[in-house]
Amino acid sequence: MQRVSLLLLVLLSAMMIILGKADQVMFESLRVSVTDTAAPLLDIASRPLATLEALADRARDLVAVYRDNARLTEENERLLRWRQAALSLASENTELRGLLKLAPVPPASFVTARVIGNTGGAYVRNLMVNAGSEHGVARGQAAITGEGLVGRMAEVGSRAARVLLITDLNSRIPVIVEGARLRAVLTGDNSDRPALRYLDTVSGIKIGDRVVSSGEGGIFPPGLPVGVIASLEGEAPRVEPYVELSRVEYMRIVDYGLADGLPKPVQPAPRVGRR
Amino acid sequence: MGSPTGSPSRFSPLLASAAAERTMAFGSVSIRQYADNPVARLLPLVTTLLAVLISIQPVAIPGYAALTPAFTLMAVYHWTIYRPNLLPPALLFLVGLLQDLLAGAPPGATALILLLARVGLLPYRRYFVDPPFPFVWAGFTLLTGGAMLLLWSLHCLLDRGFVDFRGTVFRAVLTISLFPVASFVLGRVQRALMGTG
Repeated sequence: MQRVSLLLLVLLSAMMIILGKADQVMFESLRVSVTDTAAPLLDIASRPLATLEALADRARDLVAVYRDNARLTEENERLLRWRQAALSLASENTELRGLLKLAPVPPASFVTARVIGNTGGAYVRNLMVNAGSEHGVARGQAAITGEGLVGRMAEVGSRAARVLLITDLNSRIPVIVEGARLRAVLTGDNSDRPALRYLDTVSGIKIGDRVVSSGEGGIFPPGLPVGVIASLEGEAPRVEPYVELSRVEYMRIVDYGLADGLPKPVQPAPRVGRR
Repeated sequence: MGSPTGSPSRFSPLLASAAAERTMAFGSVSIRQYADNPVARLLPLVTTLLAVLISIQPVAIPGYAALTPAFTLMAVYHWTIYRPNLLPPALLFLVGLLQDLLAGAPPGATALILLLARVGLLPYRRYFVDPPFPFVWAGFTLLTGGAMLLLWSLHCLLDRGFVDFRGTVFRAVLTISLFPVASFVLGRVQRALMGTG
């Protein structure tokens, strides 16, 4: 009897895998409700480890305190000079916008969220955060840190949500390479360095060129820092993200007012550019 | 299958208890002791759920997400050998599904692997119950190898291409290396809550 039920369950699991692949939407609401239920527990559970890591960081910092101090002082001076440049550029910008009668950029609202879970797979790259629709998070919104783009909100529950990282296999971000002004799509492949695909040409791209979001498709606003070109070998240039994705603890989920641009996943067959 | 007592020992009773002490807390148990303790009956499920929780913890080590050891597999291996009736297929399915849903993996993948682990493990259970720990570890190595291979082929099929195999190998090695710790902890807990059995 137990053997029969065991075999039945094996078959059921196999069926679920196939169904889940064919119809992405079917399990989304189940996943969202499970995530929502588990979120408070995961939130509490991830804090001790985060505290330990903070302590380890603190210890490391203590060891390097003199060296870091010198470096930070120098960086501070440099940044203060940049601040002056930025202020004068900002005022020049406002004047020029006024001259062109450019429509003002609407202010973006954001929610700060904490990472409470991580996938344990080499095959999926996403994070679970403790902010959901009751905090104003919606599908398609950008998740950023001070360094740059982290990913895009994929599944949103009421208390928790899932961020699809830019390195995930399903992630497609329209970007532009700043030096050569070339448009491309940043395509994740579950490695640490996503690839640039759909480039018109590779010439003009140098290692170290900044890659930012291009704003195409109305999914993200233009100009969000994504990463730098790290390698030109292989079939596609590879981008080193600005954000250290394995160390993200807090991120901002920003509503640029463009969230409607992301189409809902269509049933049943998967297509290029799904989600 | 699924009686709480172990296989009859081939040694004399004195050697048998010594052998039982060497393995992670299995020996003979009185039916009354086992049935009296409802908390003990939940122990396998609770520890497996804890393993799922640990699998999802974000750890700030670069690349950890791709190499997270399969803690759930460790717990399932341990309990399927020592107390298979307390972790029946239905629970394995639910725990596997829960892990898939929380971790963002295709729903059913972990459930399938855990169930197949039970299918493969139960007929050979008696080889791992009494013998000393290195045998138990060796058995886990085989299981992990098979499970990782299966998981890798599954993702190759689902994503229609070859996914990273080296990462899978590293993950398997890490899981196998951490198994003694999990086995020790689970064995201690088992001994404490279930008596010497």
